[in-house]
Amino acid sequence: MRNVFSRSSSLLRKLLVVTLLAVMLMIVDSFTSWLKPAYSTVDNLARPLYWIANIPLRVQEWSANSVTPRSEIESDNLRLTKESLIYHGQLQRMSDLAAENLRLRRLLNATELLQDSVLVTEVIGVSANPLRHTLTIDRGTADGVFVGQPLLDAEGLMGQIIEVHKRHSTALLITDSSHALPVQVLRNGLRSIAEGNADYNRLNLKFVSPTADIREGDELVSSGLGGLYPAGYPVGTVLSIVNELGDSFLKIDIDPSAEIDRSRHLLLVYTSRDSAAGATQ
Amino acid sequence: MESDNRGVAVGLTLVLAVVLSLMPLSGDWIVWKPNFLLLVVMAWVIHWPNDLGIFFAASVGLLSDILLRMTLGHSVMVFTLCTGAIALLSRWAKYLSMFQRALLVALIITVVAVLEASVFIFYGRPSAIEHLPMKILLSMLAWPFIDRLVARLQPKQG
Repeated sequence: MRNVFSRSSSLLRKLLVVTLLAVMLMIVDSFTSWLKPAYSTVDNLARPLYWIANIPLRVQEWSANSVTPRSEIESDNLRLTKESLIYHGQLQRMSDLAAENLRLRRLLNATELLQDSVLVTEVIGVSANPLRHTLTIDRGTADGVFVGQPLLDAEGLMGQIIEVHKRHSTALLITDSSHALPVQVLRNGLRSIAEGNADYNRLNLKFVSPTADIREGDELVSSGLGGLYPAGYPVGTVLSIVNELGDSFLKIDIDPSAEIDRSRHLLLVYTSRDSAAGATQ
Repeated sequence: MESDNRGVAVGLTLVLAVVLSLMPLSGDWIVWKPNFLLLVVMAWVIHWPNDLGIFFAASVGLLSDILLRMTLGHSVMVFTLCTGAIALLSRWAKYLSMFQRALLVALIITVVAVLEASVFIFYGRPSAIEHLPMKILLSMLAWPFIDRLVARLQPKQG
């Protein structure tokens, strides 16, 4: 019996010591950057594990492609050809509008709009921590990727690059609770900040006064303020607006345009300002 | 299995848990995914309490912090508290049925998760506490497989 109690007290001592060490570690990590090199080293060592963890998804994609019936492939092909035709038509109109826009901006002595180019990338890892929304992509310094670079999917803004390694990079998603993005309402140019709240399907709009002209269904695009994200990319749609008595600002929920937790093929954006411009693919 | 291979057995289960943790999922499955590393650590401590304990849990917690990009020390504390509770009860836990062990693990994970969420809420950070019941349920469902795997891999005594 005495043995049981001495074992328990030794265990409690160890528990106390390790818990105190853990608290110290949290303080050091929160307020200093001394431990950052450890992240980078382990990240590089863990790359094969990311690759292995992706195998089920790759097998699923491969099997889905392999067992698709010929008729479905043919109908997909026909649909994509039609879509391509429509988009080409719209693109011609776009280039006409872009040229007209440029002429008008020159007339107003305004600065020229920056031309963006993109680089296709694939998601190779997703943060396993549900409260930290990050992605690992298969492009790194070798492809000219840089910290702060915007990331898009086919539907809208996804996030920005926060860490770059030689062959891969980590991106912080716009839904992460530490992320904020300057936006504007497409209908009237009303500016605000869209903040993540650790929910892949929601963003919150901050600092919008109860008297502001904003409605459910309004589309939001990046405003370009702050210089990080290029202007005009879709961010989301206003889902709900709540005006609580006594609150200085509205509570606004946004449905993100990008398929944050589903997209696998993404675009890295290079504006003409970026020195290391990647090739358009 | 020879006791010389104990490290290999522990290493293999940990690699499996890391791969399961890193596996990309979409939708609510991301927040419902059980903490496989924690479950594996708890299973090893129940089956092998004399050799694996608090320091083992703290080391795996540190690895988890780095891989999952948590604040360093966060998982160390969670793993230590859960494993500490299991280690205190390991003498009796060995004789519990699989279902009772699953309930015990669920109870410990719930208590620690609620404490963790309270700290997050106190600091005004998102806690995902609304997804906790589903996460606990899935952890309980995953437990029998992990427990059985570890029981098969543990070295024979003597």
